[in-house]
Amino acid sequence: MADDIKILVVDDEPAAIKNAERALKAMGFDVEGALGGKEAITKMEQNNYSLVLTDLKMPEMDGLTLTGWIRKSRPDTGVVIIADYPSQDTIKEALALGVIDYVPKPFTPAVLTDVTHRALKIKGKVYVEEKPREEFTPSMLNELDRAIKEYKKKPGSSIPALQRAQEIVGYLPPEIQKRIARGLNISPAEIHSIVSFYAFFTMKPRGDHLIRCCLGTACFVRGIEAILNKLKEVLKIDVGDTTEDRKFSLETVRCLGCCAIAPVMMVDEEPQGALTPKKAVSVLNKYAPVGMEEAHPEEVGIIEEKE
Amino acid sequence: MQRLTIEDLKNIKEKHKATFALREGGYRAKVTVHMGTCGITVGAKDVMDALINEVKKNGLKDVTVGSAGCAGLCGREPIVTIEEIGKETIKYCDMNAEKMRKIVVAHLIEGKPVEDYALPHQKDLPFYNLQELRVLQNIWFMDPESLEEYIARDGYQAAAKALTQMTQEEIIKVVKDSGLRGRGGAGFPTGLKWEFASKVQSEVKFMLCNGDEGDPGAFMDRSVMEADPHSVIGGMIIGAKAIGAHQGYIYVRAEYPLAVKRLQIAIKQCYEAGLLGKNIFDSGFDFDLEIYQGAGAFVCGEETALMRSIEGKRGMPRPRPPFPAHKGLRDKPSVLNNVETLAQIPLIILNGAEWYKSIGTEKSTGTKVFCLAGAIKNVGLIEVPMGIPLRTIVYDIGGGMRGKKKFKAVQMGGPSGGCIPESLLGLPVTYEDIVKSGAIMGSGGMVFMDEDNCMVSVAKFFLGFTTDESCGKCVPCRVGTRILLDILTDICEGRGKEGDIETLEDLCKDIIAASLCGLGMTAPNPVLTTIRYFKDEYEAHIKDKWCVAGVCRDLCTFFIDEKLCKGCLACLRACPSKAIVGEKKKPHRIIQELCVHCRSCYDSCKFKSIKVLPAAAREASEAELLQLAGVATPTGV
Repeated sequence: MADDIKILVVDDEPAAIKNAERALKAMGFDVEGALGGKEAITKMEQNNYSLVLTDLKMPEMDGLTLTGWIRKSRPDTGVVIIADYPSQDTIKEALALGVIDYVPKPFTPAVLTDVTHRALKIKGKVYVEEKPREEFTPSMLNELDRAIKEYKKKPGSSIPALQRAQEIVGYLPPEIQKRIARGLNISPAEIHSIVSFYAFFTMKPRGDHLIRCCLGTACFVRGIEAILNKLKEVLKIDVGDTTEDRKFSLETVRCLGCCAIAPVMMVDEEPQGALTPKKAVSVLNKYAPVGMEEAHPEEVGIIEEKE
Repeated sequence: MQRLTIEDLKNIKEKHKATFALREGGYRAKVTVHMGTCGITVGAKDVMDALINEVKKNGLKDVTVGSAGCAGLCGREPIVTIEEIGKETIKYCDMNAEKMRKIVVAHLIEGKPVEDYALPHQKDLPFYNLQELRVLQNIWFMDPESLEEYIARDGYQAAAKALTQMTQEEIIKVVKDSGLRGRGGAGFPTGLKWEFASKVQSEVKFMLCNGDEGDPGAFMDRSVMEADPHSVIGGMIIGAKAIGAHQGYIYVRAEYPLAVKRLQIAIKQCYEAGLLGKNIFDSGFDFDLEIYQGAGAFVCGEETALMRSIEGKRGMPRPRPPFPAHKGLRDKPSVLNNVETLAQIPLIILNGAEWYKSIGTEKSTGTKVFCLAGAIKNVGLIEVPMGIPLRTIVYDIGGGMRGKKKFKAVQMGGPSGGCIPESLLGLPVTYEDIVKSGAIMGSGGMVFMDEDNCMVSVAKFFLGFTTDESCGKCVPCRVGTRILLDILTDICEGRGKEGDIETLEDLCKDIIAASLCGLGMTAPNPVLTTIRYFKDEYEAHIKDKWCVAGVCRDLCTFFIDEKLCKGCLACLRACPSKAIVGEKKKPHRIIQELCVHCRSCYDSCKFKSIKVLPAAAREASEAELLQLAGVATPTGV
């Protein structure tokens, strides 16, 4: 694994550091951030980093100056430039300083991890090529490859192919997206652009049962919000997340077209209508135990209004 | 099944007509369980199982059992229809397995219909007798998975006529003369669209069906695809011939699994029967049809975005011209029609333009399917003649608001539409008249709102939708709707300030003028119409910090009017923060410090004893509250 590999991300924008951290930590790297060249040098004097990803334009000390310092003082450390709109001259200068690569902003996590892998390989680090996670069984991947082969015959079938892939794997993490891209012979960026555009696709693993809460107008008018809040409370997750035991995933959908029986949620492919918060919980209990609110004891002498 | 010829169609029709007439089929009664999504959700499958078991158990060999689509009155599902020779047809509603068993014994064996469970006769129900069924004529009666039943109801006769007896020009002329306008919302004349595409010279053309019903609150396309898939296919075959296309796609939302399944079955049946594929009806005309499942993006209902999506790309719209009739899917001439539009086509070809025009108004001919949803009593699916006044739909067909609440507005056209207030209920339902109100006809969703709905929140709800669904390509839509949403959120959360309404109006005009596609151009409509008709609510939110409907948590104080409270404990039990104290049969009281303003008590009270006061009232003393509850009215009311 990548345990012994430390990466330093240098940028004057905290958000940019956070983005890079998120992508690289997901790959198992030890990542630290530095807000500017000076802080980076301080950190490098105390620690050994395999790779530095740095922005170019930063106040106090810019990326090129930092790269110069690294070349001289820490020759074993690789440098990758991350920059918005670098000029040809800057790139030439950076390459002359021996940087491994440069990534234009904005970048997708897939691009960043790709570049990182390549850079580490060049630097001779013993980082093992990404291997499919254990959860993808060989039979699953075989089925996926077979399906992709079928879709390759038809032009413009990347969406159906992704739908099928999600059916097989359950979700579409970067490695699966890349596998599909390779199989269909289109760029991973294009596949990613589709996955990130359509609400149907998810890059997070889903639970055994998918709950889709309808946020349509009719459901809104009939009080879906209270139900959604109840579900979040009972399942202890937010929209878009999966419970710890991987039993349920909670998502919202714009309209299920079952407005007559609003408010509605769909569990897997079964719409469940005329919900109240209490009823929603009891519906889930049919799929897997989530606990139940104790009902208030019925009081006597209440006249229900009849229509 | 072998390939069908026109002669076969006639034979099947004759043969199955017999089954429908019951007598010749050897049956004395037919029981239909309505199995649309709405019915299945509330237990139609259990009812069906109980029915089949009970019929078998009692050896009722002269009773035939079948399924059909939604019976229209979705709020009363599961619904079961029993037809008997020589007797009135009876519909049973709110069914369950136990009731079904009882009905089989009482109605079918003993011959005594169970009045308690039955709907009043259709002729006496305004919900049914004010409707004019054309598109929905098959839905209530036909098994959607049976090609024979469809053929018996004149199915594919129109396609046969169009393919073997009519030229392209003749088909287009009939559709143009009928005055049919696109039922997707904008109302572009269908015949004209076909004419444009037919005149373009190209080897390859595409006939497309838009089943990406994205408007929240609309479900008529789902119902048609689920219950009458063959009518849509029939319409597509005719359209394909008219424009000269040999390949078609039906684009369906992935959120409609049952519709996808039924369409798949129908397409398979058609290929087996030679109604799709090569040389249909030996006319020499080829047409291939495929289903394309969407992946959850509202903007894909826009035609250029939908075509991009079928190409397997991000569903982003592009500027027009070139129009799809010249350069559409894969840059080939393409026609995209809505599900309901296509389902009308076979009827027009079969019965002629004059018949079609015989109802409706001069510029909006024929019928329109609407979905009634929200705070209305009779939620469901209806088909009415164009030109019917809105008031008739609300109070006669819809039966007024639930729980005798007061009507506040009807939202038409989804996120692109607007809210129509009580004062405009006299408007006839036509494309031209609805537009005058600031709303649009839309695809047919009508969501009703009563006095308990806050109109600012409704506008905020729709803007939340459009900001989420904006594809991000053009700035006015992407950034503009975001700013609208921010201002509306501020107003709803008590940060509204003088001048906000004017800023909203200004910004709306800019977004309409500068957006690239229909999504952005119409996104401000919900804001503009709510400001136009419910300005007092906006002002009460901004100036008085008061949400009169008690929806915006930060802008209301709940207070129990002791004179009206019966001490039933309902609100006390409903309160999640234990802020209500009191004993049985004695007036309750809300402890303001503990109240989280969730409105649970307000909704649970059957005696209207809970009042909504301005946010400032939280600090007031009991005596002041009492006084406020009696006299206070918001600014502008």
